[in-house]
Amino acid sequence: MNSKPQLSPAIKSIVWLLWLFFLGCMLASGQTSHTVSGTITDKSNGETLFGASVFLSGTTIGGVTNEYGFYSITAPAGAYELKISYMGYNDVTIKIILNQDLKHNIEISEFSTELEEVVVTADEPERVILRKPEMSVVKMNIGTVKQMPVVLGEVDVLKSLQMLPGVTNNGEGTGGFHVRGGAQDQNLVLLDEAIIYNTSHMFGFFSVFNADAIKDVKLYKGGIPARFGGRVSSVLDIRQKDGNSKNFALTGGIGVISSRLTAEGPVFGDNGSFLVAGRRSYVDLILKAAGEDNSVSFYDLNLKTNYSVNANNKLFLSGYFGRDGFTLDSSFDSSYGNASGNLRWNHIFNDRLFSNLSAILSRYDYDLEFSEDEFKWVSSITNYNLKYDFRYYWSDAFKLDFGVNGIYYDFDPGEVTQTADTSPVNPLKLDQKRALESGVYLNAEHKLTPKLTAQYGLRYSAFSRLGGQPITEYANGQPVVYNPGLGIYQRGEAIGETDFARGDAIETFGNFEPRVSLAYLLNEDSSLKAGFSRTAQYIHLLSNTSSVTPLDVWTPSGPFVKPQLSNQYALGYFRNFLDKTYSLEVETYYKTVDNRIDYIDGSDLIGQNTIETEILNGEMRAYGLELLLRKNEGDLTGWIAYTLSKSEQRTLGGIAGGPGINDGDWYNSSFDRTHDVSVSGAYRMNEQWSFGANLVFQTGRPVTYPNGQYEYEGLSIASYAPRNSDRLPAYHRMDVSVTYVPRKYQNKRFKGEWVLSIYNLYHRKNAASISFGQNLETGANEATRTAIFGIVPSLTYNFKF
Amino acid sequence: MKTLKIFIIACIVATFASCEDVVDVEVQDGPKRLVVEASLNWEKGTQGNEQTIQLRESTPFYDTHSVTSVTGASVVVTNTTSGEDYVFEDEGNGTYRTTSFEPVMGQEYSLRIDYNGEVYSAVETMTPVTDITDVFQDKDQGFDKDILEAHVVFVDPMEEGNNYLFKFHRQGDLLPDLEVGEDKFVNGNEIDWWYEIEEDKGENVVPFEPGDVLNIEMYGISRPYYDYMKILVSQLGGVGLFETVPLAVRGNCINETNPGNYAFGYFRLTEFVKAEYTFVED
Repeated sequence: MNSKPQLSPAIKSIVWLLWLFFLGCMLASGQTSHTVSGTITDKSNGETLFGASVFLSGTTIGGVTNEYGFYSITAPAGAYELKISYMGYNDVTIKIILNQDLKHNIEISEFSTELEEVVVTADEPERVILRKPEMSVVKMNIGTVKQMPVVLGEVDVLKSLQMLPGVTNNGEGTGGFHVRGGAQDQNLVLLDEAIIYNTSHMFGFFSVFNADAIKDVKLYKGGIPARFGGRVSSVLDIRQKDGNSKNFALTGGIGVISSRLTAEGPVFGDNGSFLVAGRRSYVDLILKAAGEDNSVSFYDLNLKTNYSVNANNKLFLSGYFGRDGFTLDSSFDSSYGNASGNLRWNHIFNDRLFSNLSAILSRYDYDLEFSEDEFKWVSSITNYNLKYDFRYYWSDAFKLDFGVNGIYYDFDPGEVTQTADTSPVNPLKLDQKRALESGVYLNAEHKLTPKLTAQYGLRYSAFSRLGGQPITEYANGQPVVYNPGLGIYQRGEAIGETDFARGDAIETFGNFEPRVSLAYLLNEDSSLKAGFSRTAQYIHLLSNTSSVTPLDVWTPSGPFVKPQLSNQYALGYFRNFLDKTYSLEVETYYKTVDNRIDYIDGSDLIGQNTIETEILNGEMRAYGLELLLRKNEGDLTGWIAYTLSKSEQRTLGGIAGGPGINDGDWYNSSFDRTHDVSVSGAYRMNEQWSFGANLVFQTGRPVTYPNGQYEYEGLSIASYAPRNSDRLPAYHRMDVSVTYVPRKYQNKRFKGEWVLSIYNLYHRKNAASISFGQNLETGANEATRTAIFGIVPSLTYNFKF
Repeated sequence: MKTLKIFIIACIVATFASCEDVVDVEVQDGPKRLVVEASLNWEKGTQGNEQTIQLRESTPFYDTHSVTSVTGASVVVTNTTSGEDYVFEDEGNGTYRTTSFEPVMGQEYSLRIDYNGEVYSAVETMTPVTDITDVFQDKDQGFDKDILEAHVVFVDPMEEGNNYLFKFHRQGDLLPDLEVGEDKFVNGNEIDWWYEIEEDKGENVVPFEPGDVLNIEMYGISRPYYDYMKILVSQLGGVGLFETVPLAVRGNCINETNPGNYAFGYFRLTEFVKAEYTFVED
């Protein structure tokens, strides 16, 4: 147990929570109230809508729909107007007499599809955003994502998110994303609740999420709700579409890099729908046709189907399967990818108690084959996840979320097998690792006064590293030892092994994770919010390179690797103005992460069975200010985002002795960006033409440059400055796009559009890296810049049938 | 086995014709340090009595003019068992020489350098090497199947923990090339180590051609020196996005007077074998 020092604050917070829950329950009882509940769906395709506002007009009573489109509102008996609104959709108002519990399933329609119905502008419900204590959250409509200009015509959810404050990447051609100065492995990425371990295709050029199969994207940069756990930086919650339940539809696109096709339609009579989406790149086919031996490819497949057993029970089955392939001159063959599946059961116990039970499997693996050396290298991580989540709509003022969650992990870090007896490489299997992560949580959303709303919750997470493998013992308990004479960290001396049986726990951790946030409504148009969250992370991605690679391996916490623990404090000001056409969000945050793995100089992670000899436990801290000014309505929409931030890490020697990595000084993490400005705009000129533009400016990524040279072995050897004490040149670029919808399609069922997009319009050679070495011809030292994308124009044709 | 990451980099370069160019980049100026190239190389089958040690100074990264040789130092190597001292004479050009060294396999030696009032010291063990059993040429292996590569064949000894340094130098080329190997995945096997030169138009580098003469040296090295050279070699020619973050490599020479002012370079004792190969028409 490493939670001893925080035990007493934890107990204090529990007492507090219990008291608040009690208060909430007291407030909730007393009046004669009734409940109206139901599901909100899109009229055109039957998709349930997440985050739609449902309000009783003229009151502050209401809420938003959950991930499955469900809402439940409890109010004193009386006559009301029930008003539903959702960004990009027409408002709908229904008169109700609330003298008994009611059920209303409501369909709403998009602006663009039935223009004549556009009547109301958003009013009342917009305040929801201000009232809800939820902060540090970015919700992106897939429609917005599709409007933005993209590289090579591939609509990319992750790249779009990077246009928002607090979200960056590690440079072009690198995978994943960084949130508020956090590392890539500190993001929990969920696709229909299944953990996705690698979010990119082609080493980061494209994301694994096919926009045609996705309904919505929600990123929690902080204030992570208690129902999520396991990562310290962010949660990216991506939901796949359920499939059109009204009629059969085909959507597709033909691009430069890949083509995609999605089929969806009703099944099981009127009781369900399905969606199958596929995407495949064809660079490999072109390369093969050109007689090239090297090849690169990716494909992915999204599946979803659902079945309504009856009004209160619904089953969902979703799956994702994606794979990348690489072949190099027929001597090297590799493939890697994610696979996941999720079976869910939505059960409505009664009009106030909603539940969802999920059984989820996810897996990431890679497979390398070296044909000339006749061996194969495979590695994988697999998890089985069972979770049961409840939401109880106690009263308008008090809503309760609670649930349990258990994840079993199987880590297979690497195995070498010979593909022929003549292979010069010996077989090898790194120790398989197993672990069980469990969580239980309780969270309340509580309107304390008409102006003050609180969200408070507690998660308790536990992690057991399970046996079935030996653990190495080191002299003096030091897997890494400081050599004071040479001034370097070295591998410790192994003195023995302890074998742990499969049923035994090697080490167990437990952590209380309180999450609290408050929203205070200053006036009709503005509010102040504050939040605190503590999060724990038990599995870690091992990567000692400047940018993570698909071959990096995950490792569980255990005797030598401690769980990462993070505290984040955030404060925000939110305002709608000019008739709510514009909104302004200002947030500031400070966060710390304990037990962040850092790598000793010269660490070797490839085929490493005892990674504890390569690492030390360090810490991180990050703080920043984020500004987001959005224009939400009209022909011209878009935003200006600015982030001022700092992200640093430090690793002291600890039990290894010595000053620590980088002399124990704080140094910039490679995700530190002092300034980050993004401007994104979309302009709809008329039915045929619309335009989009992005402008990005970022401080260069921290890197390590040489600070001297010397002659050795007849070569000039570069000696490098302290870690990350230099920076790449500033990154900036502009992208534009034009979308043309030919007139002849406009009133037909078949709709087509052409998208011309130009990435990096002014052809800036942004450095992805700068490397230093000796010119082989002259012998002089020089710096070489690698730029990935210059100007990249592309044309894509999309259709819907 | 070449590291996996090289493949990734090669893949990226091969598939996306990313653009590379030489740019002017300002770098920091680190402290000037003593550079110790104390490589006592004992060619298999020779006496190994003649040995040199080079002392130099480090310079700013882009510097091409500075005189770096260090003179006026006292350099002594000692057999730590017998206590026998071998004094290396200052030749006044950065080279220190002895003709009386007595190499003993597996013997530990210490180095002591007195320079500018500071004492540097290091300890290392003479490490053996196995024989090269064959050298031949081929095209089928390597990253590029259309170009010639040289193959160096040797049998790794049965007991685990053998480490190798290879030095390849094509006659006429300005710079030699270094590679390191270990027996981690291939212990006790016959190893076929290939070496090829890929074309680089920008730096006028061409692959091996018939008639090219390649000098090959293979050294048996200690594990600490392997760890040191592995980093040093991986940083030669620059460090890319998917490679380990570069760093100032620390050798085994300790400054006893002023520990912060450590020396670059290494005190190594290695046995080596060499071969010369002339490429012929395929």
